Amino acid sequence: MAKKVRVRVDHNLCVGNAMCETFAPHVFRLNDDRQSEAVDADADPVEQILEAAESCPMSAILVEDAETGEQLFP
Amino acid sequence: MSTALQDDMFTPDVIADPYGYYGRLRDEDPVHWNETYEVWVITRHDDLVWLTRHHELFSSAVFKNDPRPAYPAIDESDLGLYEYVRNYQGDQFIQHDRPDHLEMRKVVHGYFTPKSLEEWRPFVQKAVKELLDAAERNGRMDVMRDLATPLPVMVIAQMMGVPEPDRPHIRELAEKLLYIGRGEHDRMRLLTEGMKGMIDYVSPLVDERIVNPGDDFISVLASGEKAGIFTRHQVLVNTSLLLLAGHETTINLLCNGTLSFIQHPDQWALLKKDPAGAAKLATEECLRYDSPVKSIQRIASEDVEMRGKMLKKDDRVRWFISSANRDPAMFAEPDNFDITRWPNQHVAFGSGIHHCLGATLARVEGQEVFKALAERFPGFRLDNTALEYHPSITFRSLKSLPIHWQ
Repeated sequence: MAKKVRVRVDHNLCVGNAMCETFAPHVFRLNDDRQSEAVDADADPVEQILEAAESCPMSAILVEDAETGEQLFP
Repeated sequence: MSTALQDDMFTPDVIADPYGYYGRLRDEDPVHWNETYEVWVITRHDDLVWLTRHHELFSSAVFKNDPRPAYPAIDESDLGLYEYVRNYQGDQFIQHDRPDHLEMRKVVHGYFTPKSLEEWRPFVQKAVKELLDAAERNGRMDVMRDLATPLPVMVIAQMMGVPEPDRPHIRELAEKLLYIGRGEHDRMRLLTEGMKGMIDYVSPLVDERIVNPGDDFISVLASGEKAGIFTRHQVLVNTSLLLLAGHETTINLLCNGTLSFIQHPDQWALLKKDPAGAAKLATEECLRYDSPVKSIQRIASEDVEMRGKMLKKDDRVRWFISSANRDPAMFAEPDNFDITRWPNQHVAFGSGIHHCLGATLARVEGQEVFKALAERFPGFRLDNTALEYHPSITFRSLKSLPIHWQ
């Protein structure tokens, strides 16, 4: 069973750079303000989600282990 | 009835105080058609964010897609040089739109993430220490000449694997390239000298890294050529771009930020109380309050309506960071310098898909410099001198900033 994660995007930080959408296109989607939202944390592999979080120039993406609550990024 | 706004953005008073002029535009005519230079001037924070995040409506290929002649006007005899400038600028990855921009940005993006750049912090700290050690012996320094200029040059040259003795040459060429944002009618000569000089300088470096790639940034760009994403000319131009952009704007952050502290002793006192703890938010406020870059341009890709004005396809659209970062609709008491401000959604690095690639690097350098100044020269003072800015509409750039502490 693959690890499940919770994903949040901090809209005080997000600048709509949209790299997250490139790395994990099924998880992240830009809203009407062109800020990223995590629409479905299970839609791409965790490795891709972490890559997306690392690629964020603002470190606006928080990734946690869904079971333990452990912070995986940043 | 207020007096009509004059449209010359290069007058000494507008250069000295962009906040007055562009702030007034923001309040009175936020989507303003500048008749003199045939360019829309966008000054509100929300409009700037909207515009930069709708990249499909506003092209970044501002040289290739601009049907109008250069502005301010250039000598007719220099039209051939302008063509050279257009071709050179047009090959920069930042002057591309999607889908090409995304492929190009992906080549370089990973090198500049917050996580990757954290590994450079010790190098930055060491470089700051060396420069301040040298200055300490003199009891005085020109922040521009002795700290703000050499530090970012040292860092970007190290990243790109540029040999140390060549660094003054890089800076000399960079100073010519800054004429891109100036108004002199003969500026194309210096500009093309700088561009050709850069191409000549980086060509053998690129040749070498194509064959023997290392972990430096030129090798990263060279890998883009091997992947078929960049042409050789694009690798050369983007190597030059990163050498320039990797230091020029940071220079202004370091100088303008230091000056902001000089002008606000209460905030300097606050930083001194806890330099390590306060440097991060303080750097954000320096970026907002007196931003290194004043304005950036786009070209409308189609007819677009903004605040009741019709921007026509192919119109020039220039957005002003200086006024957006002082917009009262976004920031409480925008003209106050407050190093605890949070959140601080300034647009010093732009926004959207073209958000500055080097933002984190600039932040690291700013944080380390302001922290070190507060720790080592807590009582420094500005020399009794008049401050002057370079006459550019792109950069907010001091000519010098002399200080002393003895």
